[in-house]
Amino acid sequence: MADAHQGAVAEPGRMPVAATASAASSPVSSPVSSAVSTSSGGPTSGRRRRTLHGRTSPWVALLWLGPALLLIIGVVVFPAFQLVKAAFSRYSITGLRLGDAGATNFTNVLNHSSLITVLTNTVIWVVVVVALTVVISLAVAQFLAKDFFGRKVVRWAIIVPWAASLVITAKLFTMIYDYYYGTLNLILQTLHITSGPIDFLGDDRWTMASMIWVGIFVSVPFTAYVFVAGLNAIPTDVYEAAKIDGARPWQIYWRITLPLLRPALIVASVLNIIYVFNSFPIVYTLNDRNPGFLHDTTITFMYKLAFKSAEKDVGMSAAAGIFNVLLILVVVVIYLRTLKWQEQED
Amino acid sequence: MARTMTALIAGAGAAALALSACSGGSGSGTAAGKSGDTAKKVTSIKLVAAEYSKDHTAAFWKQFADKYKAKTGITLDVQVVSWDSIDQQSSTMIQNNNAPDLLNLNVYASYAKDKLLYSADEVLSPAVKSDVLDAFVKSGTYKDKMYGMPDLSSARALFYNKDLFTKAGISAPPKTWDEFEADAKKVQALGSGNIGYAMPLGPEESQGEFSIWAFNNGGDWKTDGKWAINSAKNVETLTFLKKLSVEDKVTQNNPGRTNRAQAFDLFKSGKAGMVVGFSPLAGALDTDKKVNYGVAPMPTKDEGGTPQTFGVTDYLMSFKKPGNQDAIKAFYELYYQKDQVNQFIKDEGFLPVTKSGLAVFASDVKLKVYLDTLPNVHLTPTDDPTWDKVKLAVQQNLGAGVGANGDPQAVLGALQKTAENGG
Repeated sequence: MADAHQGAVAEPGRMPVAATASAASSPVSSPVSSAVSTSSGGPTSGRRRRTLHGRTSPWVALLWLGPALLLIIGVVVFPAFQLVKAAFSRYSITGLRLGDAGATNFTNVLNHSSLITVLTNTVIWVVVVVALTVVISLAVAQFLAKDFFGRKVVRWAIIVPWAASLVITAKLFTMIYDYYYGTLNLILQTLHITSGPIDFLGDDRWTMASMIWVGIFVSVPFTAYVFVAGLNAIPTDVYEAAKIDGARPWQIYWRITLPLLRPALIVASVLNIIYVFNSFPIVYTLNDRNPGFLHDTTITFMYKLAFKSAEKDVGMSAAAGIFNVLLILVVVVIYLRTLKWQEQED
Repeated sequence: MARTMTALIAGAGAAALALSACSGGSGSGTAAGKSGDTAKKVTSIKLVAAEYSKDHTAAFWKQFADKYKAKTGITLDVQVVSWDSIDQQSSTMIQNNNAPDLLNLNVYASYAKDKLLYSADEVLSPAVKSDVLDAFVKSGTYKDKMYGMPDLSSARALFYNKDLFTKAGISAPPKTWDEFEADAKKVQALGSGNIGYAMPLGPEESQGEFSIWAFNNGGDWKTDGKWAINSAKNVETLTFLKKLSVEDKVTQNNPGRTNRAQAFDLFKSGKAGMVVGFSPLAGALDTDKKVNYGVAPMPTKDEGGTPQTFGVTDYLMSFKKPGNQDAIKAFYELYYQKDQVNQFIKDEGFLPVTKSGLAVFASDVKLKVYLDTLPNVHLTPTDDPTWDKVKLAVQQNLGAGVGANGDPQAVLGALQKTAENGG
């Protein structure tokens, strides 16, 4: 949060807007504030100040870091350790540990007959949701950055899907998509767009698309706000200069706005890739009527392996969980590499 | 560079967090306490109870815990868990070597197989055991010992919409499958969105819907102790269900992907002519007062057959832990007292599990159709630990058999193979 305020102070003219953005983000403060700090000069000056004071003793530092370290060990390191342990264990269906499993849990996951389907689903799910979310959010952010009557109301309205619990949102959408009572089918038929109802969640041709739409719906608010913060951090004099040089609006957007939004774009897409990849409630809730793994992503696959499928095997699920972590790490690293993040830094 | 690292660590952290949230403390230990007689007696025991209803379950167990405490001086710590997450929670507790003393679930045999449970000989008085209905003693018995104590039961019957039947010119509920098919066609022919039969063969409980049809065709999951999932009778049953959906088109859209709640909703809205239901559905319909319905025994395949009921019972099982045997014994003693077990069943709208309970409920006219069938109720093979996995395989795969391109023979054949391989 501190960084976000520094950013706001560094841009006096923009302060009210940046402050609104960061205040709105307080329930999940870190993503937006980091986005704001990336696009401002705040943190660098802070770092310089710290070095002037010299080094503190390691013991004092440990004292201050202690609570945070304990938390990290308890919440991240210990579960991760247990996960690895579970992945190498053999479990009864009741959850009782029967002994060591060696690598069989891993080979069972790799040999699973639905693995290819699940991986394909995951790629489609992550790529389409993140790509469309970014495109839509760019447009929404452009709109929200403008000053117009009722902007506050619109901004709050856009936060709502973000603030609502994902399970509730997903449940709401199962009602909207319903074959018999769904509002969507009612609208489509009343407007004579379709002749009969569409089984959005049960028809294999529609299930993934229906889930993707909900995925986008819940991802846009956060992403749009990252972009709003990014847009507000772009100095106005650049635009003035462009106008004096006779640039057309589209040229300005393409040659100035987008390149200067690059840090925000990268942060938003990396975070979205991780969130969307790990998104459980939407896929699980909207897909709960469908048998097998036909529309599962790796996350729901992992859950079903442990508790719902005929395997009902915690060890195998833990092995799938380890594959998941590795997969998302590799994806993020590759993504950042291809974007030449480091060059951008210089 | 520093920022690259920060972003990467943040990313890894987020992934790890999400992951650990899902895997919820998977891990250590072998939960196998000994029922030490010499061990110190416990002063409190823990019950993990399934939530049958928001209104009644927690309230019942609270008054029960108070009575139990007054009687024994032992604290009963009750944790009520929703059905959605009880499998996950119980599994996690056992993984963490932190099993409760008592667990309320719809399966028990795998736990008995893992040697985690007390048998009835150890914790149930002979008087109580002899009061439990024979069908439930049988279903609660694994390898000659009873481990699963029934907490309540339910039995299914055919619900039909009287108004739709009258409109379609049907005078009485169907007795045979042919009549059933004809009636479903008549209701469907009424048009304006009416559906002949709401058939839930989705993953939530397809084994229930299939069971009741199969039992009324003389089929079963096991015959003479051997798996018979792809028997000729069962293939015939699933083929008939597929015909209703694909050829006759008298079911709701996509029955292989419809769960019970959705099928019940259709019936509750007055759009479905028939549905297989149970007493809680009747309770909901009586509250709504929207649908004029009747309840009839299931139709049998051929004329003159005896209608079979599919019954379900859930279990209370108790885990062997040092010093808790007497406390558990006292728990069952109190639970199976007439005013406890039957009150619980009445509140939740289910059916009794004891002979004395049958007598208590006999006066309820509404329950007559179920109670008459209860002593001969037909259950799924919950006494076989393999069933715990077969059930899951059935739930995930059976629905495919009634799809447009579904192959009942192949679907049941694959399930048979799963069962023969031990799940």
